[in-house]
Amino acid sequence: MRNLLERLRRWIRRDGQRRSPLRPEFIGKVARQIEATHEIEYSCDDVHRLLDQFAEAVLRGENAANLWPLVQQHLDMCPDCREEFEALMRVLRASGAAAS
Amino acid sequence: MPPMAKRTNEQWLSDLRADASRRETALADLRADIMYGLPYALRDWLSPNDPRFAALAEEVTQETLMRALNHLDSFEGRSQFTTWVHKIAARVALTELRRRHWKDVSLDSLLESGEGERTPRATADHEPEPEVTAEQADLLEHLQRMMMEELTAKQLRAMMAVGVKAMPLEEAARRLGMKRNALYKLLHDARLRLKRRLAREGLSAAELLAAFERR
Repeated sequence: MRNLLERLRRWIRRDGQRRSPLRPEFIGKVARQIEATHEIEYSCDDVHRLLDQFAEAVLRGENAANLWPLVQQHLDMCPDCREEFEALMRVLRASGAAAS
Repeated sequence: MPPMAKRTNEQWLSDLRADASRRETALADLRADIMYGLPYALRDWLSPNDPRFAALAEEVTQETLMRALNHLDSFEGRSQFTTWVHKIAARVALTELRRRHWKDVSLDSLLESGEGERTPRATADHEPEPEVTAEQADLLEHLQRMMMEELTAKQLRAMMAVGVKAMPLEEAARRLGMKRNALYKLLHDARLRLKRRLAREGLSAAELLAAFERR
């Protein structure tokens, strides 16, 4: 990391240099994340507490994203929680939990 | 077919808190439920035919049962009890798989390397770097300057590792000596700082995005 910071500092100090140490793809990824950022967001623990209720609501065909918009927003932003949600949904679909 | 031992939430809680045989039967049923779900939970990560699957499933099931029993009082009954347990199992299993997949990757080497990958099945991006226009180079310079000014070294490092190199939060957090929850908050704060700075300068993330998607 020291290398990365040093490269950025060196790059900023050099006038006229047109080649950044970061690739343009980086900007796209960061810009998308900034665009989707809200002032208030749930943390991973907040979402984990609600994930079972959220998943069952999705399974019942309810609009879970409307019922828990902060959960949905977190799932859109956090790949770890999204993977766990998707894993849970696969299990619930396989076990027929929707019918209960 | 899923295991057939149907219980209400109250029956699960009562049986798991009972003495001896009732508890043992409930534990065996819950164990079967978890084991039934794991091939589906792990479908994108590890095939049940993989020789590593059985040992992992056993480990995950044991850990899930232990956590569930230790936190029975926190189950509020707002979902089915088994859904609550499968939620725990999904986190335990994916945490372990992420740990295994990323165990040999240091944060420093990741940040100095090319594009990262998210899952064992994902492929790295080896496309040649496209030409950058003068306008894009200006924007790159501007955003990088803002990042240097607005973010702490830890935030910059975390944002690069998770947001760009696709390291799981859990793994980045482990390497940064913090909990996943705290890392998410740190990243949220970093995104907010950049968003506010852009706004102060009359820019939006959407404009940045548009400039780079025109390529």
